[in-house]
Amino acid sequence: MVIKSPQDFGAGVLFILFGAIGLWVGSDLNFGSARNMGPGYFPMIICGLIVLIGLIVMAKSLALEGPPIERIQFRPIAFILLAIAAFGLLIAEVGAVISSILLIMFAAYARRQVNLVETLVFAVCTAAFVVIIFVYALGQPMPVWWGR
Amino acid sequence: MEVFEHLATGFMAAGTLENLLFCLIGTVLGTLIGVLPGIGPIPALAILLPITFGLDPLSSLIMLAGIYYGAQYGGSTTSILVNMPGEASSVVTCIEGHQMARRGRAGAALAIAALGSFFAGCVGTVFIAAFGPPLSAIAQQFNSPDYFALMLLGLVMAIVLAHGSVLKAVAMVLMGLLLGLVGTDINTGLTRYTFGLSGLWEGIDFLPLVLGLFGIVEIVRNLENPPPPRETISTRLRDLWPTRSEMKDAIPAALRGTGLGSILGILPGGGAVLASFASYTLEKKISKNPRKFGTGAVEGVAGPESANNAAAQTSFIPLLTLGIPSNPIMAIMMGAMIIQGIQPGAAVMTTRPDLFWGMVASMWIGNLMLVVINLPMIGIWVKLLSVPYRLLYPAILLFCAIGVYSTSTEPFMMVLMIVFTVFGYVLFKLGCEPAPMVLGFILGPLMEENLRRSLVISRGDPMIFINRPISATLLVATVLMLCLIIFPQFRKTREEAFQEE
Repeated sequence: MVIKSPQDFGAGVLFILFGAIGLWVGSDLNFGSARNMGPGYFPMIICGLIVLIGLIVMAKSLALEGPPIERIQFRPIAFILLAIAAFGLLIAEVGAVISSILLIMFAAYARRQVNLVETLVFAVCTAAFVVIIFVYALGQPMPVWWGR
Repeated sequence: MEVFEHLATGFMAAGTLENLLFCLIGTVLGTLIGVLPGIGPIPALAILLPITFGLDPLSSLIMLAGIYYGAQYGGSTTSILVNMPGEASSVVTCIEGHQMARRGRAGAALAIAALGSFFAGCVGTVFIAAFGPPLSAIAQQFNSPDYFALMLLGLVMAIVLAHGSVLKAVAMVLMGLLLGLVGTDINTGLTRYTFGLSGLWEGIDFLPLVLGLFGIVEIVRNLENPPPPRETISTRLRDLWPTRSEMKDAIPAALRGTGLGSILGILPGGGAVLASFASYTLEKKISKNPRKFGTGAVEGVAGPESANNAAAQTSFIPLLTLGIPSNPIMAIMMGAMIIQGIQPGAAVMTTRPDLFWGMVASMWIGNLMLVVINLPMIGIWVKLLSVPYRLLYPAILLFCAIGVYSTSTEPFMMVLMIVFTVFGYVLFKLGCEPAPMVLGFILGPLMEENLRRSLVISRGDPMIFINRPISATLLVATVLMLCLIIFPQFRKTREEAFQEE
């Protein structure tokens, strides 16, 4: 078996997995009948169709040439996710200012060659802007500093 | 004339100082984000959505509509000056507009795009005002089977118009439908696909989903493949006015584009992208001198730019009268309306006339503002292109995070956003376009409910969809669309159309 189109093969696998999980998790839902649709009726049909399309896409990927999967670059995605996670975990503890600065710093390191001074200045300015706009102007409920 | 009375109500509602201000803020912010290359209306709306939550419903809708056509408009500026489409509907503007710019007619191209858009916006507003009420009267005739058939047609159209592989687009729609079903089943009260997480009982939150899939994945994508720097063409204000012969070519094209766009906007699945491609093809077909296309034909700017703006406006019609979004952007607008506590549909016009007509009136006001803020201030927008991306993306990311946090302080929302970012990243690596998924996500619960009701009425007999004239017509259209996808000739044209991007 030779995979001629890795991108499509991957997509096929993803669809099959997605649909199969849907079928499995939803298997305890009552299917009902057309006359009286149970909570499982519509989801089961959809999951079945997703698996079906997954199979077709996968089969096609074995027969037809297609693009390869682009190499995954770990640095951007990892730092971006880290930045969001840090913000989400810390904002309730340390407030909007510090968590905003942290998010910007982490996000900046998603690229190589970071100018630390520039990024720090930018982070502080953005954090100030955020507090002025979101907390004072728009009145969003957000702790500015810690200890509240 | 009833239409004018309605419009007067609308202008009264939209004309308050506060609403004018929010309209201005919306159009400015929209243009700002739209000008930035690589950020189209979908991420722009997603990123700016949270800002509008604190406002009252009318102001927030006015601002969102402003963001939408502001982003649309900003995209054409970038296309003309930098040859970088901010969004799919400006792709064709890129072709002719940038060629004009290279011949030193950048100012003229910008002016034609602005005036054409404004004209189309005026017509679009009148169109909604004139056709909104009769269409909403038709909508009263709609029953569950008709709604189901209409949604099916909309989803199939979204598949036809999606980039890349048809099969993948079908899968994306289906996955969206399933994601839309997560949460409590309204009929039985059972929770479905919640994996025991209480945060999912009310369904997957809309904001983390769109921000993850569009806002954040877009950033990662740009970081992985930095867009090549392109030369910016500077323009002077005194070159802004088109010559008489340019105007002579532009005016009929703008008229045709407006007409075509207004009609295509109403169709399920229609919208700005379809309209601009269709208008470009039309102009090329009927031109006496088709060879000048590709070298900076004025008609190729005036037509598509008018068409996409007209369609952007009239695509609000299905949402406001039937309560069904016709494309992913309208799906986001619908999400925003629901968050504001408004269920879009024919009822809005009768129960909240100020809201409906206020929004219609604000579209015209917003279009006027766009011309005013864009033409004289073009220099400022161009400057914006020189803001380095290394500063831009952390700020965008911060707005996404704050947006999610300000709607819900639950840490679970951040987790959800991270999950959808990862999911969107996987989809991007596998060459799947996520836009049809949003449409499916919004339509999922509606489709299930209408299917259920239809089958209860008919006692399980699927013939109900064929026996009713409205749903039968819609289903025939759906089948025709499906045939088009399968039909090889059309498939080739579709692939070619997207190739130009």
